[in-house]
Amino acid sequence: MADHADLPETVTLTIDGQQVTVPKGTSILHAAEQAGTQVPHYCYHAGLSAPAMCRLCLVEVEKAPKLLPSCVTQVAEGQVVHTQSDKSLTMRRGVLEFYLHNHPLDCPICDQSGECKLQDYAHEEGRPHGRVREPKRVFGRDDFGGDVLFYGDRCVMCTRCVRFMNEVEQDPRLAVVERGDRSIIDTFFDEGLEGTNFHGNVVDICPVGALLSKDFLFKQRAWDLSHTDSVCPNCSQGCNIELHTRDNLVQRLRPRPNLDVNGHWMCDEGRLDYEWINRGGRLEVPLVRDGKEFHATDWKEALVGLVRELGAGPVRALVSPRLSNEDLGAARALVDQLGGGDLVYRSRRAPEELVLKGFPKLARRRDLAPNVNGADLLGMSRVGDNDGTGGLEGLASHDGIVLVVGDDLEDQPPTFGKEAALYVFLGTHSSEAASHAHFTLPLTTFAEQEGTFTNHENRVQRFWSGLPAPGAARPAWLILWALLAEHTGQTQPTRPEEAFVTVSEFGDVTYETLGKQGVIVTPPTRQEPAGAIGD
Amino acid sequence: MSPKEPMDTPFHNPGWAGNTGEFDLTEDQVRGDDFVGSRPLAGAHPSSSASYPYVLVDKHPESPLFEGPYRERFDKILTRYPDTRAALLPVLNLAQEVRGHVSPETMDRVGELLDLEPAYVRGVVTFYTMYNKRPVGRFLIQVCTNISCNLCGADEVMDAFLRYSNTEPGETSEDGDFTVIEAECLAGCGFPTCVQINSRYYENVKAGDIPSLCERLRADGK
Amino acid sequence: MAYPYVSDREVRVISTQFGDPEARTLAGAKQRGRYQGLKTALDMSPDAVVDIVKASGLRGRGGAGFPTGLKWSFMPKDYDKPHYLCCNADESEPGTFKDREIIRWDPHQLVEGCLIGAYAIRARHAYIYCRGEFFEATQVLARAVEEAYADGLIGDDVMGSGQKIDLTVHVGSGAYICGEETGLMNSLEGRRGEPRVKPPFPAAVGVFGMPTTVNNVETLCAVPHIVVNGSEWYRQWGSEKSPGTKLFCVSGHVRKPGNYELPLGFPLMDLIDDLCGGITNGNALKAVIPGGSSVPLLTAEECRSCALDYEGVSSCGSMLGCASVIVMDETTDIVKQVRRMAAFYAHESCGQCTPCREGSIWVTRTLERIEAGRGTEDDLDTLMELTAQMVGTTICVLSDSVAAPVQSSVLKFRDEYLALIRRGERVGTA
Repeated sequence: MADHADLPETVTLTIDGQQVTVPKGTSILHAAEQAGTQVPHYCYHAGLSAPAMCRLCLVEVEKAPKLLPSCVTQVAEGQVVHTQSDKSLTMRRGVLEFYLHNHPLDCPICDQSGECKLQDYAHEEGRPHGRVREPKRVFGRDDFGGDVLFYGDRCVMCTRCVRFMNEVEQDPRLAVVERGDRSIIDTFFDEGLEGTNFHGNVVDICPVGALLSKDFLFKQRAWDLSHTDSVCPNCSQGCNIELHTRDNLVQRLRPRPNLDVNGHWMCDEGRLDYEWINRGGRLEVPLVRDGKEFHATDWKEALVGLVRELGAGPVRALVSPRLSNEDLGAARALVDQLGGGDLVYRSRRAPEELVLKGFPKLARRRDLAPNVNGADLLGMSRVGDNDGTGGLEGLASHDGIVLVVGDDLEDQPPTFGKEAALYVFLGTHSSEAASHAHFTLPLTTFAEQEGTFTNHENRVQRFWSGLPAPGAARPAWLILWALLAEHTGQTQPTRPEEAFVTVSEFGDVTYETLGKQGVIVTPPTRQEPAGAIGD
Repeated sequence: MSPKEPMDTPFHNPGWAGNTGEFDLTEDQVRGDDFVGSRPLAGAHPSSSASYPYVLVDKHPESPLFEGPYRERFDKILTRYPDTRAALLPVLNLAQEVRGHVSPETMDRVGELLDLEPAYVRGVVTFYTMYNKRPVGRFLIQVCTNISCNLCGADEVMDAFLRYSNTEPGETSEDGDFTVIEAECLAGCGFPTCVQINSRYYENVKAGDIPSLCERLRADGK
Repeated sequence: MAYPYVSDREVRVISTQFGDPEARTLAGAKQRGRYQGLKTALDMSPDAVVDIVKASGLRGRGGAGFPTGLKWSFMPKDYDKPHYLCCNADESEPGTFKDREIIRWDPHQLVEGCLIGAYAIRARHAYIYCRGEFFEATQVLARAVEEAYADGLIGDDVMGSGQKIDLTVHVGSGAYICGEETGLMNSLEGRRGEPRVKPPFPAAVGVFGMPTTVNNVETLCAVPHIVVNGSEWYRQWGSEKSPGTKLFCVSGHVRKPGNYELPLGFPLMDLIDDLCGGITNGNALKAVIPGGSSVPLLTAEECRSCALDYEGVSSCGSMLGCASVIVMDETTDIVKQVRRMAAFYAHESCGQCTPCREGSIWVTRTLERIEAGRGTEDDLDTLMELTAQMVGTTICVLSDSVAAPVQSSVLKFRDEYLALIRRGERVGTA
């Protein structure tokens, strides 16, 4: 074979009159992206193999006898590509017409409408009028099991779903059956996708409305949804996601590509576990207990009152691995300020990891909370059982200061904190075990605040706020730093990026350096957190 | 004009192409039956063990996969390919040989034997026309109606078969003997109409030959 | 000796044993000179075999007409990876019936051709991919292969040369598209027979991911004769660019249909009128498809001057393809036959590429509607545009094959379409 060592590592070519220089081996499709042109395509997906069968990404390459599929054609030095020439556009318009030949055109009742590639391309490049005079083929619908519904008539046969199940999930339960115009995606008769852990991704990668989520079916129109970049809060993998929200509710979670963490994917458990974010009955105002009565108050009064009660004393604090790094840092700062004490957290642990075979970096991790590593990194220790209960015997009857941040204490008895000199409860929802709290302060969820989580490999990743906070609820870090400001009389962080840099464990990492991809932090050498149990 | 003028072909051997005067051959000689002889169920040399897709007249949809000589043949097939996936098509042929059609259970079982997902097997089975997805009659009659045969009256031959068996295309006749389907070009274009009945080609078939041809099938099994 | 008719104008190289049952046996085959070529080839270097085939100008007989020696020369020149030779015996182009005849009359010729081909491209294993429907022919071939194995012609020590070449007879399961070389490779691997995107070309990444050459039956059968007699001998027939002889499969409305082996460049009308005894019932010629159903139709007028070689047929506006001459006389209903061909492609389209999957069925349905007398003149324009959109937009050329008969018939036999559309009148009966 020829020795490629002496060849240049980059290739310069002309796309639509613009010169671009890209690494050798890049496809024309990607090079065109760099030149600012999106070439339409269905079958190509960055996370899958490219069969070049949708024939929509055909572009004119000078000196080539035919139009070439840009998804698999590699760039060559001096190549001249026309993605928008008459020839390319005519050819693609022709190909697009065939896509609509049997398509039911049922956009008004299709969930994909608004984020549908067939709609987009037909609008951009298609013919204004259809010429089909023959009756359309009808396949009907099929339940693929799991969360997936199949609308056969809308399918464009790009086979992304089949390739996902083959190559990524590596459990080939989907196949193209029959051939020619009878061909269709199907499972093995009655066997479906049940029992696979990542099948929800086939809905995401379906470019049209053929594969739909049962969970999202007829729930919202795609164009009504707001998209917010976030991190999945359901395990310590930290999949990059988008929150799709409307009406102050999370409507669905969708993966956001990050090749270092989750590729283009996320697991079904994580994807479908979002209703807790929308749970009603939220704490909305600070409450101060007077005897057996709780009085609603405002923040100023609550904090001033609280500082008045804050004597130095042995503190025992319970935090949650669902809190952000900023929240945990603030909690630790407060405990330190009060003379130090135990900081513990509880977390649910699954019996096993669910690894995505074709992308083994991604797994549903055992820790079912997003920031277990953050808590560990900040020196907090795990207590309780694998179902996230118990372990609070000392705390429940502590007679000094009891601080609970983010843990809803659902499993704890109403006598919790009865003996405490001062019992401060910060949470999203009240519970019986909070009935002795002197101060009950309303928290926001991760979806309502900006912050960072530290995932299982100590990658710190940012998330953004996608929902308004209910009532007067605030992020824990803001409450705790305000409390410290009140307590010490010094200026304290009032913005998340300021709160973040107070955490020394993150070294010189800032929000700016984190960007959207996140950064792995090296934990300073410290002994293993004591009391880590449950393995 | 009547739909079909008699063709002035110089010879007419209903059922097989031969003996035009230039050659003096019997049907067995043309077909090669003399040379091939009786072929063992276990397959002979492994090199050709994948090439035995007999269509047996007697089929048992519940027959076990694979036992006795069939197991031997199965093992021989596996030796001829660098991976087991490649054995899928011949093994499906083998399964159809004993069961008469490829049912979902058969796909499942073959997938198990070759370590392939059943959905994948189904995808492959449905791609190829020779796997019967449903049980067929004792005689599967495939009439080529593609261009060369069609020019010479294949549609009439097709109709004659359907009339004789009293069925619609793809249906099995009430007595379970005949299933008539339309086939694409069988590569017998010079001898129209070409009809495949189970394993055997019948060439130069004219609409008028059908009753006697079907009687022969019932009597001799070929 | 074309079977079942003979003509003394034929030049028989490949078809000498047609109609002679003795040639099937190994003894009979050896008596008739089989395996001389293999012996000669094994005394040469593989590259020398490639060179002699290159020099002979032999072109692929499967339809595309690509020079065989050149194709072989693309194979890597080492034994680092396993190489494979696949013999394409998945004959299913409508109008073609030569490979089945070769296999059933002269199986040892094919076995010998495969062994020489495998030796030339340094393959240790050759597969003969037989069409699944060919039960009878495959049995003859299988028997021949078994005999050859027993005689040491195939196996670990081919003819005592120390070369190891295995041969497997593989059967398909019914899919026209498996006659496309990459579709064949997928099918041989136990997959759906969907053509693959090229590049990578088979010579780099072929069957089982290894360098592979796919050759047609007739191509490989010509090789032993070239090796024995030399390239100049082969070039005595045909033209500079299309040398040698070719089996012509004549079907349709002729008195003596069948295979005729002729030098390339033979006049089309001589074939029809002389060798095949003219049109049946003395009817007039209407149209000819010169190369299987995938090529444009020729009108009777265009046939007059047509010489049957790759260039000659091209210059008449069609293609030689696999030299399957389908003759249609004046009674032919062109619309019906074109519809039947379109329906064939719709049935056989693998369904990968959208233009082919949707286009083939769309064209078929439109033709059905026209045939039923419910067409409009706009439909003809739509047909022309749809088929134009199907050309050059897909992975393989099946899509282009739909376009050829439809476009050529709409252009050349527009009157017949218009008769149906305007007056509901069918022109032919067949």
